[in-house]
Amino acid sequence: MSITTGELGFVMSSEVETFREMTSRISTFQRIVIAILGVTCLQFARADSPSVTAVLSKSQVAVGEEVQLEVRLTGARSADAPEQIPVDGLEIHRTGTSQRVEINNFNLTASVSYDYTILPLKEGTFTIPPQIIHVGSSSLRTPTLTLHVAASSNQPARQYRRGTQPAFDTGKLVFAELIVPKKSAFVGEMVPVQIRLAYDPRTHPQLTEPPEITGQGFTAQKLQQSGENLETINGKTYNIVTFKSAIAAAHSGKVEIGPVKAKAQMVVPRRSSAPRSRSPFDLFDLDDPFSDPFFSNPFSQFGERREVEISSEPVALDVKPLPQNAPLSFSGAIGNFTMTTDAKPKSVQVGDPITVTSTISGRGNFDRVNAPVIEDDHGWHKYPPSSKFKQDDEVGISGEKTFETVFSPNEKKQTLPVLAFSYFDPVKEQYVTLRSEPVAITVQGTAAATQNVASSRPASVAPAPAAPRLAVTTKPADILYQLTERPAATESFAPLYTRPVFWIAQLVALLVVIGFAGWNVHRAKADNREARRIAALQHELAERMRKLHRADASPREYYAEASRAVRVKAALASGNRQVDPNTVDAETAADTFDLNGDSRERLRRLFEQSDEFQYSGVHNGSGKISSENRRDVLELIENLK
Amino acid sequence: MNFFTLIPSAVEESRDAIQEQFHGVPRLHFASLGVTANRTLAILFCLTFGIASVGFAQSDAEFAKANQGYAQGRFKEAIDGYESLVRSGQWSANVFYDLGNAYFRTNDFGRAILNYERALALEQHHPEATANLQIARDEAHALELQQSWPDRYLRFASINQYSITAVVAFWIGVFCLVTLIFARRRPAAAIVLLVLAFSTFSGAIFAIWQLDRGAKGRTLAIVTAENVQARIATADTANSVLVLPPGSEVKIVSTRGDWIYAALPNNLRGWIPAKSTQRVRL
Repeated sequence: MSITTGELGFVMSSEVETFREMTSRISTFQRIVIAILGVTCLQFARADSPSVTAVLSKSQVAVGEEVQLEVRLTGARSADAPEQIPVDGLEIHRTGTSQRVEINNFNLTASVSYDYTILPLKEGTFTIPPQIIHVGSSSLRTPTLTLHVAASSNQPARQYRRGTQPAFDTGKLVFAELIVPKKSAFVGEMVPVQIRLAYDPRTHPQLTEPPEITGQGFTAQKLQQSGENLETINGKTYNIVTFKSAIAAAHSGKVEIGPVKAKAQMVVPRRSSAPRSRSPFDLFDLDDPFSDPFFSNPFSQFGERREVEISSEPVALDVKPLPQNAPLSFSGAIGNFTMTTDAKPKSVQVGDPITVTSTISGRGNFDRVNAPVIEDDHGWHKYPPSSKFKQDDEVGISGEKTFETVFSPNEKKQTLPVLAFSYFDPVKEQYVTLRSEPVAITVQGTAAATQNVASSRPASVAPAPAAPRLAVTTKPADILYQLTERPAATESFAPLYTRPVFWIAQLVALLVVIGFAGWNVHRAKADNREARRIAALQHELAERMRKLHRADASPREYYAEASRAVRVKAALASGNRQVDPNTVDAETAADTFDLNGDSRERLRRLFEQSDEFQYSGVHNGSGKISSENRRDVLELIENLK
Repeated sequence: MNFFTLIPSAVEESRDAIQEQFHGVPRLHFASLGVTANRTLAILFCLTFGIASVGFAQSDAEFAKANQGYAQGRFKEAIDGYESLVRSGQWSANVFYDLGNAYFRTNDFGRAILNYERALALEQHHPEATANLQIARDEAHALELQQSWPDRYLRFASINQYSITAVVAFWIGVFCLVTLIFARRRPAAAIVLLVLAFSTFSGAIFAIWQLDRGAKGRTLAIVTAENVQARIATADTANSVLVLPPGSEVKIVSTRGDWIYAALPNNLRGWIPAKSTQRVRL
C-alpha cells in the first residue's frame, strides 16, 4: 500500500479511496486498534536512523534544458529542506514534495522526497554543494553533485518554460519521459531508469497498455509504479505518474534505450469547425486543447473517449565491456556488495551437516549474485545451496541475498572453509573479492570411510553358503551383490498391531484370561462353602461341649451328645477330606486322631454306651450321669486333637 | 513341498480322477454321492494352497529372471521385473534390496535409496541394504533427517518387536492382576511382577509411538526427482528453503493438492511437489 501526497495538490489514488471507504465502515474499536497498530508501526519506522540521498536525473545537459534533482530522505516523514539552492549559473527551485509510507513484510518504511527543478542558465561544469537537511535534532548532508552543461544539446531537451523549445509538446494532453541517470555503463550493470507519464487531469486516462521500454540489446526489470503527484509544467498542471525499473545491457557498444510506449483511453475534446472561444484554462493563449467550447461549457457538449498512444524519446547508453582479469569466483555480479557469514551448529560430529548462511547485501544485479564459493574444499562435502532474496527497493537492484549451504566435514576441523565472493565495482572499475572471516567450529569423531563400507562389512553378515550370489563385475568396489533368496511368505509394511492376526491372538489371550478369572471365581465359591461348613461344625461342637459340661443331662442324652461331639470333632479334624460327621464311627474317629490303645478303647466304649442308651432302652429314666463318668467323658473328648 | 501327501483323502480323490481318465467311467463322488463335509473342506484347502504355490512359483520365476537380467547388465529389464513383483504385492526385503541395486546401476540414486530404505523398513537388520544405502547416499549427496534422541536409542528393536513385547507384558500384567484379585493373601512377588509388566507395557507403547512418528516412521518419504527445491509456499516461484538432492529424506506433515508440506533435514520445513517424493512404507 502506498500513500502519496504532494504540495501542489492532494492526490488520492484508488487504493487510498478504497482504504478510506473501508475505514469509514469500521467500528470505533477497530479504528482504535488500527491506530495503535499504525502508531506502533510508525514507531518502528522512526526507530530506523534517517538517511538522505540526492540524485540528478541527468548529469549532462544543455543550456536551457531542465534537470530534475531528487533529494530523498528515508526513515523520516518530514524535514526542513531548502526551498532554493543557490548556485551561480543554475536556477534551482523546489517544485514538489512527496511522502511515501510502505509496508513490506510488516516492515514499515517512511520516506519523503523533495523534487527540485534545475534550469541551467549558462554552459560549464557546476557543483551543487551539500545541502543541510534538518531532521528533528539531527542534521543530514546531501552528497555533492556535479552537473555538466553544454552550450547546445543534440537531444531534445525537456523544456517547460515559455519562450524556449519545449521538450514535450505542451499542447499534448499526455506525454512520456524516459530518464536514464547514466550515459555509460558496463555490460550486465544494472542501471536504474525512471519513466514519467504526464497527463492533463481533465482527460481522466486509463492505461490500456502499460508502459514498456522498447529496444534491443538490454534486459529490463519489471516496471513498478512508484508514485503519483501533480506538477506544473510551463504553467500547466499535469498529473505525473512515475514508474521505476532497471536495465542491464547485454553487449558492449552503443545501446539505444527506449522509446517507452504505452496506450491509454482518455477523454479528448471533440473536433469542431466552429470558432473557438477562450477557455478559462487558456489564460495565456497556450493553444490549450481544452479551450474547446465543450470544455468551457460542460453542460452543452461532451468530449469523446479515445485510445491514445503515448511515446517518449529514446536514450542512448554507451556500454563498456568488463575487464578480462575476472577472478575465479566471479559469477557476473556487478555493483557494490558486502558479505557476512555465519554457521550453525558450531559443534558437530564428523559427517554431520553444518548450515552456513552467507548474506550478500548491497546494490547491483542480484540475479547474477551466486553463492560464495569455497576456496579449499579439502575435507569438506558441500551440498547445493538455497537462496532467498529480500529487496529493499521497487525494482530489485538493492537488497540482500541470503544463501544457505550445507557443509559436512569428512574429518576433524577447527574452522569453516573460507568462502569467497567476487563482483565488479563499476565505480572503481575493478573486480573486488570478498572473503569470509574464519568461523571457529568443533568437529569431533573420526574420519568417515564410506568407501570401505562394503569391504569392512563384518564376516558375520556374510550370506550362507547355500544362498547363491550373483557376482557383479561392472563395479566390484561399489555396492554389494544381488540376493537371490526370497522368503516364501511376503512381508508387510503394516505394523504388527494393525494386522488382524494380531488382534485374533489378543482375543485368544483374552479368552484365556476370562477362563482363568472364571476358574478363580469358582474356586472362591467352593472355598466359601467349605468355610461355611467348618463354621457350622465348630459352632455345633461348641454347643455340644457346653451341654456336656452341664450336670443335668440323663446318661442317654449325655452319651448321645458326647458321641456327636466326637463325630463333629473328627469331621473338623479331617480337613480337606470333608468327612460327614454322620458317617464317623469309633474306629474312624480313633484313626483320625491317631489314638493309642487305651484311648481307642475308651472311645469305642463311649460309642457303644451311646448306642446302648439310644437303642436298647436300658437306663431310661430320670437318673443323672455320675460326675465321675462325666469327667471321664470330658477328658476323653478334650484330649482328642 | 507336496501338500497332497499330508491329506490322504485328497490323494484318494486324485487317484479317482486318474482312474476315471483311464477307464472312461465317471465315478461320481463328492457332495452328490454323499462325500463328507470334511472331505470337501480338505479339497478346498488343497486348491487354495495349490493356487498359492503356483502363484509363488510364478513370482519365483520372475524374480530369478530379474536377477538374471541384472547379472547380465540389463538393468532396465531387471528393474521392470522387480517392479512387477512389487506391484503384485510380493514384498520382501531382498526384492527391494535388489531393486535398489538395479536403480543404483542406472544412476537413479533417489529410487535406489528409496528401495534400500524399504528393504530396511521390512527388515531392520539387513546388512547388505544398510551398506548399499550408505554408498548410494554418498553418491547422491542425499540429506538425512536428524533423528531425535529417543528415536536413536529406541531403534535397537523394531515396531513389531516392541508390539510383541507390549502384548506379552500386558497379558502377564493382566494375569498377575487377576491372581492378586482372587488370592486370599497377596504375594509381594506378584505385585512386583505386575508393576514390572505394566512398566514394560508402557515403555513398549511409548517406543512404538515414538518410532511410528519419528524420522524413520510411517511418514518418511524419499526425494526421487532431480533438482527438487523445498519452498516456503505452494508455488514454483516461491522462495526456496532448501535444495534437496535425490535420495534425501523428508517427513510428510500434510498434503495440499499436488504439494506436500514436509519436515526437511536441518530442522527446516517447506513445500515440495508431491510427485517428486515417494513414501517408504507402501
